[in-house]
Amino acid sequence: MLGTREDLIIYEYDGAVDTATPDAVVLPNDTNDVAKLARFCHEHRVPIVPRGAGTGLSGGAIPVEGGVVVAFARMARILEIDAANRRAVVQPGLINLHLSTAAAPHGLYFVPDPSSQKACTLGGNVAENSGGPHTLAYGVTTNHVTGLEIVLSDGSIVRLGGKAEDSEGYDLIGAFVGSEGTLGLVTEITVKLTPLPEDKRTILAAFPTMDQASASVSAIIAAGIVPQAIELMDQLATQAVEAAVSAGYPLDAGGILLLEVDGLREGLDHAAERIEAICREQGATTLRRAQTVMERERLWAGRKGAFAAMGRLAPAYYVQDGVIPRTRLPDVLRAIEEISVRHGLRVANVFHAGDGNLHPLVLFSDPSELPRVHEAGLEILTACVEAGGSITGEHGVGMEKNCYMPLQYSPDDLAAMRRVKTTFDPDGLANPGKIFPTPGRCREFQLHATR
Amino acid sequence: MSGASEQLTPKTYQQCALALGTASERRRSVRIRGAGTKDYLGDVRPTDLILETTGLRGIVAHVPADLTVTVAAGTPLTEVRAALAQAGQFLPLDPPHGDTATIGGVVAANSTGFWRARYGGVRDQLIGTTTALADGTLARAGGRVVKNVAGYDVNKLLIGSLGTLGVIVECTFKILPLPKASAGLQASFAQGSAAFAAADAVARTPARAAALVVQSTARESWRLLVLAQGDPSAVERTLAIAADAVQEEGGTSERHDDIELGLGPLRDLPATTRGTVLRASLPIAAQNAFADVATRLAGFRHLVADAASGVVRVHVQSDESSEIAAADALRAAARVCGGSAYVERRPEAIRDSVSAWGDGDVPGLFLMKRLKEAFDPNGVLEPGRGVVR
Repeated sequence: MLGTREDLIIYEYDGAVDTATPDAVVLPNDTNDVAKLARFCHEHRVPIVPRGAGTGLSGGAIPVEGGVVVAFARMARILEIDAANRRAVVQPGLINLHLSTAAAPHGLYFVPDPSSQKACTLGGNVAENSGGPHTLAYGVTTNHVTGLEIVLSDGSIVRLGGKAEDSEGYDLIGAFVGSEGTLGLVTEITVKLTPLPEDKRTILAAFPTMDQASASVSAIIAAGIVPQAIELMDQLATQAVEAAVSAGYPLDAGGILLLEVDGLREGLDHAAERIEAICREQGATTLRRAQTVMERERLWAGRKGAFAAMGRLAPAYYVQDGVIPRTRLPDVLRAIEEISVRHGLRVANVFHAGDGNLHPLVLFSDPSELPRVHEAGLEILTACVEAGGSITGEHGVGMEKNCYMPLQYSPDDLAAMRRVKTTFDPDGLANPGKIFPTPGRCREFQLHATR
Repeated sequence: MSGASEQLTPKTYQQCALALGTASERRRSVRIRGAGTKDYLGDVRPTDLILETTGLRGIVAHVPADLTVTVAAGTPLTEVRAALAQAGQFLPLDPPHGDTATIGGVVAANSTGFWRARYGGVRDQLIGTTTALADGTLARAGGRVVKNVAGYDVNKLLIGSLGTLGVIVECTFKILPLPKASAGLQASFAQGSAAFAAADAVARTPARAAALVVQSTARESWRLLVLAQGDPSAVERTLAIAADAVQEEGGTSERHDDIELGLGPLRDLPATTRGTVLRASLPIAAQNAFADVATRLAGFRHLVADAASGVVRVHVQSDESSEIAAADALRAAARVCGGSAYVERRPEAIRDSVSAWGDGDVPGLFLMKRLKEAFDPNGVLEPGRGVVR
């Protein structure tokens, strides 16, 4: 357990912009430690907040109402790689990439691959229902979890599901994944492992404009091709990435698509050729197919390092995570451009175009700009919801967007979600102040909405 | 049984919600029905009302380039399939009773077929729902975009809930372009272990077969049916991989491009009207041991396994006491194997001796009870039908 000011200070932030200092930080060794701690917190009515690697982008691991942060760094083991059943049983502190590395000798891997996969943990992936570039064809975290051991805020230990595909009764696993620590703490996870693809084709397509790049995405899908990944980057993002990692992206392009098809070797070249032909028709000026594993990794290094590369452009950035129907990409990108100009803030775009999951990065230099940055972020999310989309595709609601939930959901929709909350956490001690609008912090937003 | 019940057929989502609100207020029990294809599922009890969803019909939205479709819950699956096919697309679900079932019924019963091997099940396709709740409100969850983590995934709780939490009135799904090619292979084996081993050898490759079905009607005779879909050259390679796996396990195989003709009746095993049908969900590697128990049972008739997903159905037909014993034995075997099982259908005569869900020792049951109470405090929705009774 950690309790000194110096120790606590490193637990007061995560990957987002909000901060709050915990009253204490506990590093449990096993499930019983977590249960004992939860019972103690329950008895004393103290909030309990789980934390993995702290890479979250919505303030999910921040104890906004104080209390105990449970850091899972010591529960980071792979308990079992069960190749015969194509499952792995792991502890929540395990780093995402370590699982795929351990499964590789069996010809298997764990599909969800968030950009932070070298640091983020499986427990965090379960809490946030994390995605990544390759989830377009193969699904997000919830599609790959078959069993959970959870500790509720009253200290009870519940085991749900296991290695079988379906479990009995209501799909509580489905409700728990993506619940951001607000339904309890996960202490053990059983996930599906998937056979590694035999081969891949990775294509870079550069276009003079973002519109042409977006139109290519729709044209590829309309042609009946669903690639395993379609990533899009605008010029500002490209420039930052090139400066940081030299991925070989053309600097003069208005928009760059990174596409990947994988699976059996047969058919991949054909799919790649069709994709290239469509991109050419839509006006692509550069088309490059990775010829070696090194080349592919270099292309991906640019995409996965994109957020970190923003440091080349500005001292700070605020990343948004809206989702829109694919066909609305050009409209919404134009709306973002307009918002950026109006607020005098530069916005770089790097995102999962295949899923319509946008990641506008609002750049700024000084904390005094934060109110304006938040305002721009809110306008972007409003544009996404108006286009029929969502305020978050993979980063979560957390304490960053809980006030925005009414943009997307009616009071009746939220009331149904509250029934789920009270089922698992009747006393409201599990990561309070997240997901649902809170009267205190959201008052300002409500005023704004009614203005 | 249903003769005494009053029948309601709401025409709008709002009407449906109001009807439920009124029923709950007056404490009148409600049974929820789509096409009525799965009336046998769960421990069905007579109710005061029967709410038919068939008045809620039609495709609400289909944007082909978004690869999503939104459908009113009472719409027949066939209608959705026809509309999507016109755009060269399909909803990758192949449930039993596919020619009559409604979309809402497929979701509420978590009804999946064999395509799960490649495309996943209902929980992998459903991205949004609107549900009429017992308090008379309409609640939306998820949305029409393929990726969305705003709030709890209430959709998942509704899948397989058999109407016990509310009435699903609208669903949105991810859809896919129709595969360019489709072909199949059928293999024969003398032993179940060989059939499952061959299926597993295929499933362990990146071929992603669309269906891997192991079937048997007698201990000494087993079949493996393989369906491959996708790019023509990948389909050919998948069948070659399957043929090699069959040979490796000592079986014989033959190409069957109309393999669907063979899969159809197997998919509809739950439609078998006589005897008892049990559905188990098992760890993949446990299927062979479970099948060994099943095929030794007195009255064993048929075993059909979605071998890529570990969902195994067993049909037994015999005298009453043998069927009761078989249901108990299979349920116990599923537990021992690390899975679970429920009785999908059984003859009226043994309905009271064989409950659908077994002894009720379900992990997390106390949470499920709380959930049921939170959504249906007066207990009017499908009383007794689900795991929570």
